[in-house]
Formats: sequence, structure tokens, C-alpha cells
Amino acid sequence: MKDGTTAEVLLELRGVTKQFPNGTKALRGVDLAVRRGAVHGLVGANGAGKSTLIKCVSGVQPVSDGTISWDGEVRTWKDPGDAQGAGLATIHQHVPLVPTLSALENVFLWRRGPWRRTAEMRAEFERLVERLGYEIDPDVQVASLPIGTRQMIAILQSLALGAQLVIMDEPTASLSEAERRIVLDAVQRLAADGTTFVFISHFLDEILEITDHVTVLRDGRAILDEPTATLTEERLVQAIAGRELLAVERAGGPAPAGAEVVLDVQELNAPVGVRDVSFQVRAGEIVGLAGLLGSGRSEILDGIFGADTKATGTVRVAGRRLRRNPRAAVAAGCAYVPEDRVSQGLHPDQPLWKNISLPDLGRRSLRRLLPREDAERELARRAIADLGIVASGPDALPSELSGGNAQKVVFAKWLYADKVVWLLDEPTAGVDVGAKAEILQLVRRLAAEGRAVVIACSDFEELLSVATRVLVVRGGRVVDDLDARETTEEQLIMLAHGLGAGSREVVHV
Amino acid sequence: MSEKVLSPRGSSGPRVPSWLHPSNAGVVYAFAALVVVLSLATASAGRPAYVSPTNVSNILDQTALLGILVVTSTIVLISGNFDLSVGSVAALGAATCLALMPSIGFYGAFLAALAAGAAIGLFNGLVVQYVGINAFIVTLGTLTAVRGLVLIITDGRTVTAAEGADRDALRALDGSRWVTPNLYLLAGLVLLAVGAWRLWSRRSQGDVWRRPVLLLPLVAGVALLAASPVAVFTIRLSQRALYMLVLVAVAAWILRYTTVGRRLYATGGNAEAARLSGVAVDRYRVMAFVLNGTAAAFVGVLYASRLGSINPTGLSGFELTALAAAILGGTSLFGGLGSVAKSLVGALILVTLANGFNILNLGANYQGLIEGVVLIVAAGMYTVALRRKQRATLRSTEPPVPSPHPGDEPAAHAEPVAAGAGTGRP
Repeated sequence: MKDGTTAEVLLELRGVTKQFPNGTKALRGVDLAVRRGAVHGLVGANGAGKSTLIKCVSGVQPVSDGTISWDGEVRTWKDPGDAQGAGLATIHQHVPLVPTLSALENVFLWRRGPWRRTAEMRAEFERLVERLGYEIDPDVQVASLPIGTRQMIAILQSLALGAQLVIMDEPTASLSEAERRIVLDAVQRLAADGTTFVFISHFLDEILEITDHVTVLRDGRAILDEPTATLTEERLVQAIAGRELLAVERAGGPAPAGAEVVLDVQELNAPVGVRDVSFQVRAGEIVGLAGLLGSGRSEILDGIFGADTKATGTVRVAGRRLRRNPRAAVAAGCAYVPEDRVSQGLHPDQPLWKNISLPDLGRRSLRRLLPREDAERELARRAIADLGIVASGPDALPSELSGGNAQKVVFAKWLYADKVVWLLDEPTAGVDVGAKAEILQLVRRLAAEGRAVVIACSDFEELLSVATRVLVVRGGRVVDDLDARETTEEQLIMLAHGLGAGSREVVHV
Repeated sequence: MSEKVLSPRGSSGPRVPSWLHPSNAGVVYAFAALVVVLSLATASAGRPAYVSPTNVSNILDQTALLGILVVTSTIVLISGNFDLSVGSVAALGAATCLALMPSIGFYGAFLAALAAGAAIGLFNGLVVQYVGINAFIVTLGTLTAVRGLVLIITDGRTVTAAEGADRDALRALDGSRWVTPNLYLLAGLVLLAVGAWRLWSRRSQGDVWRRPVLLLPLVAGVALLAASPVAVFTIRLSQRALYMLVLVAVAAWILRYTTVGRRLYATGGNAEAARLSGVAVDRYRVMAFVLNGTAAAFVGVLYASRLGSINPTGLSGFELTALAAAILGGTSLFGGLGSVAKSLVGALILVTLANGFNILNLGANYQGLIEGVVLIVAAGMYTVALRRKQRATLRSTEPPVPSPHPGDEPAAHAEPVAAGAGTGRP
């Protein structure tokens, strides 16, 4: 498999473009060639177009332009089943197995024909397990298996379908170290056996370890396409981040050291993956949580705000200890901008003015009981003017607004409620460039007015441009505490990926 | 720039207020149409007028028990839950009251009945909210279990209240009737008051006299007042009908005008967003169940007060009728949407249908079929209307694409399109 360059090309993409009906261009002419028997790595930042690319290749979505050739022939898949029939299987990150059925039944879930030929299936199961090199009890119920083993069953499923090419979307993202090893070994073993893999991962160390060839996507383009042997971590990181990493607009200096500690988090733990997190935020500080998807950065914010009621630990706001629920946090002066604004942040079918006044409704009402609707409408008008929300008026519905404007509404909910601690989870996700800049400006202003801000963001450049201090989060722990002015994006990427040490000298471009 | 797109309030000529718009008040029009059809049918059959004081009194009386349950069931539905247990809980209330009356007297028994209802509601709420079992399943369980409890309490036999002071006290709960003043006079006064209030609240805006919102109620009010000496329409409200009307009025006011109502709708509309905004979602949902259980027990006692007895299978299937009425009234099964007043109109439709069948002597055999069809048709109309609204919203939020039918969209949805086209996206 090392002489991948001479092997025939199994899957080839030429100029693949994908434009969504709303005008977003997710792919801008991607060329990609996957050779038979290779493990082909696909990496890129969130939003670089990896998911869209997989969807196009596997027949979930049609391409807007360009061609996909399979085994030397240009093909257009009608649907995912069509691609599967041709020998192209996709394993998504959240493995879609039927949890109530046994391993055996899941592996042969897509088998056609009216009869369940159990004896035959068992024999074939044995053969497949041998190829995989990992023992699985065919009768065990899938619900009782750890995620790593479910990945193995998903691989078996694609093998049982006769897949020549298996696309794996972040198979190791939620696995423990030992499980990860098992999956990586299985991939290498099957590849040596002739199965081709497209392997998508955020973990650059495993990309460098098991792939033969790597393609880096950025902004919908294949920015780098080389044999793995010629690559280094540094080059990968630079290709992923893609910019001149040195000059980044920075926020003003750090908060004065003597400023009052507004938020004090001690020994925060949560079953969803937060381990012994302790830190303090002073008035005027913007603390960034830098971590990859699934690192626990959102879970830390949930824990602080009390949205995760199973979290334990001590959270103090201005010296007062919080009870562990959002109502207490709001009452104590916390504002929370959740990751998913549609399902967590807004009431899409209620007018803006009702959305905006909700967190502070009691205080704005007569005797805390009778809302003053005119004042609420006025407040909404003020928010629309202050934040530049493009909406037809206070009676517009959030579901009518674009992402950036909807996000500004979520900010407006807290902005006029005198909150001292702001917890922001991906406040700029799904927001266009202009609104993004305005939101970041707003965050800086909040801090400048003496509030304590904690912000989680997967775009590290953005994080560095707004934060005064950065906490690196990996595996639910805070592994590093850095001064934002002395940290580069490259450093953050490496630390978040678990590469290198904090003190490591940055390689300049 | 945003100043320009602010919706012009009350600027353009005569427009139907939104609460009278067919998409918001469909159930009211349906009820009116039903009454008109029944009036014509009775007139052509040569029977006494359908909308007679006696018949209206009867319909209100017959709606009362259902109406009370519909109100609280609607509140549970708005909070985003579901309660199937009310029929059994009503029977439990009646059985508790009648079984305890001989030993602790009527008032103690009455309170015990309400407490039993509240306790079942609390149980439903706590299990649904804190154990996290689906409300449908939990209340299906209590529906069955509480009916069993009623059988145990009554030992499977009809329980009858012995004559005496307690029986009289029980009867007094639903005994008297109240004759309303002339409703034409009353309506005229209300309309005049509405007109005067609107006049006063808009006194600063010039040229108020030409506005139909002011003129219509004033003119109609004067006309009704003038006619009231000649046209007299008084109805005899039974006490239970009065309970129902008071409950509807109070519930509607709380839901519409208080922070409690606002938070309840927020809870049902998007529980997670409400929770993260500091609303005590769990508490609101549990309280809705408690209220529903208490109201159900009260309904049971009212039921027993007129009959003086409770059959252990009495009030079966009441919960489904209440849900049907709430759905007729446009209450969403997914929460966050609904109005107790409209649910009550839904209940009136169901009762009027049954009443009309009686009056017209159309065999009761057809009644179930018609009711079922009405329910499905109503739900279908709400679903279609909602989908059309969503589609209009979707269209208006997408970037402008050349539309094949430019003049197609209703005017009400044109504003966001214009706003989006001007400034929405780069």
C-alpha cells in the first residue's frame, strides 16, 4: 500500500462544486483522487466543507457542478442506496445502528430477501470478524456496547455490503484511547487487505500515522493534496488554518490585575465530560475556551450556568455561591448565549419583543405580575436600533431572521438585564462575516464596561482576536492557561489537538 | 434604515383586527355557522326557534362540566404536556366526596375530594417532569389506575348520598340559577364601553371619528341600547355554567395579561430556551397538572351534586371529549399555542352538535360519526393553515429569487420579504 502512486484510482472527483439554494457555496471545485487500497485522510477546520463533500460523494446530496467517477466511470448517484450498491459505504460519526437488535442482525441489516438465513449469516459474520481482526459476540445487543465497538459493527456492516471504499467521518472523535487504537488497527488491517478508506479526523497525529495520502480542505477547496510521507504536523496545521498566522488583530490589553473576581469556578465536574475545572474571571476580562469539537468546552459553560443539573462543583458570582440551576444563575447575574440559538436560545414563533423581555420579565412587569407590553415593544425597538438587527419591527418573528440577526436577538435578551457574567457558546457560529464582526465588537464592549466574559469558540483566530486570556480545553480538562497576546493560532491548534507543549517555539511561516 | 421597515401600526384603512381573522378565530366562525345551520333546520322543520333563551341556557348548562375541564386541559396542553387522566380523576373526586360525607360532613369531604384530585395531578406532574416518562404514558396509567381506585372506594357499586344536611350542602354547590339581565342591553353597554375606551386611549391622535375601530362599537352599542326595551333576551344561567364562565374569564386573563401566562406559553413553545432564560419550567408544568387534577375533582363533585350519586364507571371518556374540544379550539398538541376561550368554543361546538341532533330528532346513531369527522376536518384545516404560514415564512426568509408569480403572496407576508431583500444578506 506504500506504492499508492501507481495503484489505480477508485474514486475521482473533478471540479466538484456545491451551492445551496440559499446561496452558500460549500464546495468550490474540489479535485480529489482516492487510490484503491489506500487510506486517504481528509482534514479541515469546521465549516471547511468536509461534511458536504462526504454527502455529495455518498449520494445524500447532488453536486451542483463537476463530476464524480467511480472505478473509472462517471456516475451520478440517485440516492445513498445507489452509492452503497456500487460499493461505496459511509460510516457517520453518530453510528446509525439499531440499538435493540443484536450485532449479527445489525451487520446484515440491509440484506435483501424475505428470509433470515441465520446459519449462513453466522458463517459470514465469522469470516468478516476474522478479516477485521477484532472479536465481537454476534448475539450481544448493540445498545449494551461501547461506542468503539459500535464503530466496528458499522465497519462490518459496510464490509457485509461488499464495500470497496469506506468513508469514515470522525470515527475516533468520541472514543477512549484504547478504543481508538482498536479502530485505527482495524482500518490499517483492512486496508492492507485491499479495502479503501477515506478517513476524516480532527486528530492530526492519527492522520499522520495511518493515512497514505492527505487532502486538506479549506473554504470549500482542496488546499493541499500530498502523500503523507512528505508531510509534517506544522505544514498540516498551516494548511488547515490557511492564513498568515502572525498578524492577528488583538483586543485591548488584559484587565487590570487588581480587578475584582466576578466569576469563580472551583472543581467543576460533570458526567458529560468535564473534569476538575477551576478558574477565575475578573471584571473586564474575556476568557476564551479553546478546544476541539467534543473537548468539553460547551459542557464547561453548561456546568457553570447550571444548565447541566448533573454538574458538581462550586460556582461563585461576585462572591455569592450559585445554586445549580439556570434560574439561580440568571438571578445572580449570569447571561448565557447557547450554542444552538434556534433550539436553545429563542422562541422562533413568538415575536421579538416577547423573546427579548423573557429573561428579565419579572423585573420589567408591574408587581412582577403584569407585563407592560408597550415598554417591552419599546425595549425591542431599542435593541433593534442598538444592535442593528434587520427586522421588520418588534413584532417580527425570530424564524424570519437570518442567523446573525437572530443571534443578536439572543444577545439582546440579556443586554438590558444588567448581567455581570456572560457565558457565550459559539456566539458567531452560522453568522455571516459582517454580523460576526459586530458581535465580536459587542463582546469587547461588554468587557470594557466591566463585565466578565467567558467565550467558547472553535475558530481560534476569532478567539484570539477577542479574548484577553485563553484556556485550552482537552478531554474535559483545562490543560493550559495562556495570555492571548502572547499566543498564536498555530500554538492553539497544536495544543488543542494534543500536539506539542505550551512552551514550544512557534514555527514561523 | 430600520425605522423605515417598522410596521405601521393602525395606519391604513379598515382592517380586520387579527383576533377576528379567520386563521385565528376559525373555531368561532365554525360555531356561528353551525348555529345558523341548526336555526335554519329547526325553522324549516317548523319547530321553536333554535336560539331561544331556554335552549341557550340548556346548552351552557350542558357545556359546563366539559367546559371547566377543557380550560384546565388546555393549560396543560399549552405547557407542552398532555393529560388523559381527568375523566377518572373526576370520578375519584365524586366518589371521595360521597364516600367521606357521612363521616366528616360535606365540606371536609369536598376539600378531601379536591385534595385527591390535586394529589393525582401532582403525581402526574412529578413523574412526567422529574422521572422523565412521556406524559401520554403516565396519564394513561393514572387514567386506568385511578378508575381502579374509584372501584375500590365504591366497591363497584353506585354510591348515593343520604338525604340530610350534607346532601343539601352538596346540592347547594350547584343548586341555584341566575337570570341574566337583558343580554341586548348588556351587549350594548359593553360595546359602548369598548368604544369609549378606544376613544379615550387614542384621544391624542387626530381625526379619530372616522376610524371604524371606534365607530363600529359605538354605533352598534347605541343601536342595541335603543332596541333593548323591545327586544329582550335573558337566559337562566345554572350555577355550574357560572363556574365555567368565571373560570374561563380568570384563566384567559391570567394567560393573556400576566407574567405567569407569558412564561407558560414560553415553556410550551420552547422548553429549553425558556429554561435557559431562567423560567422555572418544571414548576410551571407540574402546576398545570395540579390545576387540571383539582379542576377534574371539582367537576366530579359538581356531577355528583345534581345526581346525588356516582356510578363507578361514570364520567368515562370525558378526557377524550375535553381533548377533542381543545383541538377544535386550535390548541397545539405540541405546546405553546392555544387559548382557553377558543377551546371553550370548541366544547360548545361538540355540545351544540349533540343538542342539535336531539332537537332535530336525527337518530343519535349518526352523532359519533359527525363529531369525529368534524374533529378531523378541523385539525386538518389547522394543519394546512399552519403549513401555509410556515411556507410563507420560509419563502420570505430565503434570499430573493425570481418568483414565477410575483403577485402571489398575501400582503401580510410581503413586509419581511422587502426587509430581507434590502438589507438581509451581502
